Amino acid sequence: MTLAVDIRSVSKSFNGTRAIDGLDLSIPEGATYGLIGPSGAGKTTAIRMIMSILFPDSGTLSVLGQESALAAKDRIGYLPEERGSYRKMRVGEFLTYIGRLKGRTRSQCEARAQRLLRRLGLDDVMQKKCEDLSKGMLQRVQFVAALVNQPDLIILDEPFSGLDPLSVRLMKEVIEDEHGRGATIIFSTHVMAHAEELCQQIVMIDKGRKVLDEATAGLRRQYDPRRILLAPLDPGASLDALKKLPGVQDVTTGPDEALIMLAAGTDPATAIRGIVERVAPARIELARIRLEDIFIRLVSEGVSEESRQQLRTHLQGLST
Amino acid sequence: MRNILLVALREFTNTARSKGFIFGLLLMPLLALIASVMIPRIQHSVSPQVRGAVAVIDPSGRVTTDLAAALTPSAILARRQASARAAGANDQVARYAANASDVPQLEVIGRSADADVQAQKDWLLSPKGTSPEPLAVVVIAADAVTRRPGAADYGTYDLFVSPHLNAATEGTLRDALRQAVIGARLKTNGEDAAMIDAALRLTPPEPAMIDPKGEHKSGRGVMRALPFICGILLLIAVMTGGQVLMTSTVEEKSSRVVEVLLAAVSPVELMAGKLLGQLGIGVLMVGVYLGISVVALVQFSLFSLLNPVLLLYVLVFYVIAYLVYGSLMLAVGAAVNQLADAQSLMGPIMILLMVPYVLTPVIGNAPNSHMSVALSFIPPINSFAMLARIASDTPPPLWQVLATIVVGLASAAVAVWFAAKIFRISLLMHGKPPSITTLIRWAREA
Repeated sequence: MTLAVDIRSVSKSFNGTRAIDGLDLSIPEGATYGLIGPSGAGKTTAIRMIMSILFPDSGTLSVLGQESALAAKDRIGYLPEERGSYRKMRVGEFLTYIGRLKGRTRSQCEARAQRLLRRLGLDDVMQKKCEDLSKGMLQRVQFVAALVNQPDLIILDEPFSGLDPLSVRLMKEVIEDEHGRGATIIFSTHVMAHAEELCQQIVMIDKGRKVLDEATAGLRRQYDPRRILLAPLDPGASLDALKKLPGVQDVTTGPDEALIMLAAGTDPATAIRGIVERVAPARIELARIRLEDIFIRLVSEGVSEESRQQLRTHLQGLST
Repeated sequence: MRNILLVALREFTNTARSKGFIFGLLLMPLLALIASVMIPRIQHSVSPQVRGAVAVIDPSGRVTTDLAAALTPSAILARRQASARAAGANDQVARYAANASDVPQLEVIGRSADADVQAQKDWLLSPKGTSPEPLAVVVIAADAVTRRPGAADYGTYDLFVSPHLNAATEGTLRDALRQAVIGARLKTNGEDAAMIDAALRLTPPEPAMIDPKGEHKSGRGVMRALPFICGILLLIAVMTGGQVLMTSTVEEKSSRVVEVLLAAVSPVELMAGKLLGQLGIGVLMVGVYLGISVVALVQFSLFSLLNPVLLLYVLVFYVIAYLVYGSLMLAVGAAVNQLADAQSLMGPIMILLMVPYVLTPVIGNAPNSHMSVALSFIPPINSFAMLARIASDTPPPLWQVLATIVVGLASAAVAVWFAAKIFRISLLMHGKPPSITTLIRWAREA
């Protein structure tokens, strides 16, 4: 397996504060990796080190087979979290400049920029000045700047923040296309749902440490506690009978629905049939665990319920 | 190297196409042209002719007639021309001085020796439209022409003027009074006033400079101004390049485009490209100014006085000065988040830039003094000092010039090294702007 990024025991501190602490990460070529964690977890620092914009205090790092991204910059596309553009420059000129800095010819840059802009619904902006675009349009242009050199490794730091749902969908389609042609994609976000949707592998970082590195598909299997959500047809119906059902570990009742926890090894289908026989349901379903639940479980042992709730709200991207 | 050139090309085209640069580039020669053409004309331009009367109370009875003679248009013109020549003015200026169309027409009215001075002062306040318009009252002292017994000095005169009397006409009146009173004194003593006047007059000739190319009678003034001209050229070019470097870096940092760039180029490539691009702008600017200067010198047949090697030295010392000051300004731009934060850091750099500029005319006048020689080897003053010395009447020996270039290149290398350290560390830093000591600490730790 050829690795696009290989990070070994990398640490980085700023003014005595450890931003990255002994990070190990191996990303194979062609993979889609989601780097998730709350703001300040160290995602951007890790990405900047991958890009050789920052350098580790200790540990080793290789990118696309090179000891430093500096030697492979022409093959990397990067959309930083703090992105900008030359306000007075025309969009076409800006994209061509960035593409040429990454070793492409003017005509290659123009053709690819035109095609990507069209895909993102920006057909006629090539001749417009960057300062004349709306924030959302400019963000899509900056996304194109990251892809204009047709990179082998694409690193996107919070690419969807502040975008409308349509733009997010268009960008996701382009990301999937890039992945389809074989590009490795590293995608950083604090909105877990985006990572869940796009990534094959999830890496969770908290306080500079990697707390999880799992395939998305296996993640739910591993962390799914086999919970069932039940909304009774009669809101006042008693759920005591459910607690005596074989395989049911616990029943937590809420205002509209109840959460039924199953014991390990219990078949959910058998359990659902038993529940339905005892309580008529308005709705019954398997409660699929979300990334934020896993993250919170991993990082918040011994933390108060209020802190957990704040972390959950943050991870769900309610603030974005 | 490819990326450095691409960054440099963008910097160059972006600046060269900006209206501000084009305006600035043309403004300097335009101002020089206006100054060279307009200043003599303004100084000696035709003002509206002054017409009026001067009342004279002359107890000696010997001044009024001579004063009237000294205030005739022909006498005024002769005095103007003589004083212009005595001040070393060339033919052109003397011609302006001899322009007769603005010579004041002054009528001298003799008052009786016992006339009431207060009444004469009141006369100056006559209503507008009074003809002739009262302009001045002169009261000659009783001992202005003949000394009192035992007195060492003569008496003088009192002068009362109307608010409408302009400074030039007042000067003309004073000159005429001087001529008339002194003439009356000489006549009273039986001296030949015309002969003494002629004996006291010595018109300085325009010096002729002899060099291997021949004899040159004009242009010495221009040549003497060369150190100063070279200093101002260096200052403007360095300031322009350095300021653009600083502002463009601040803009790239504050607009957050810098991280996009750092994904494509290394900090050192980015810095080198920016320095190179603005160096091109500076060379373009210096080239345009030198070109205009050469055309002007050829136009006035003065080019033969100029050593063409000086043009090469201007470029060499510009490059050195630019690399030193431009690197420092670039470091300041990288260290701050907005232009307002740059002011405190720019202060010391501006002092380091202004001091040598202010010293250039002084060094040009004493190019081989111990201090001038010493300053030629002290960075960052050395570029300005050596250029002023080269442009002076007595240029330094070649070994000193070469030594200054070596010292300059070494100081430029140190400045670029320092700036590269700051640039790499501070480009992605936001927040409180650093102090100078912080910058130095960064450079040592990086």
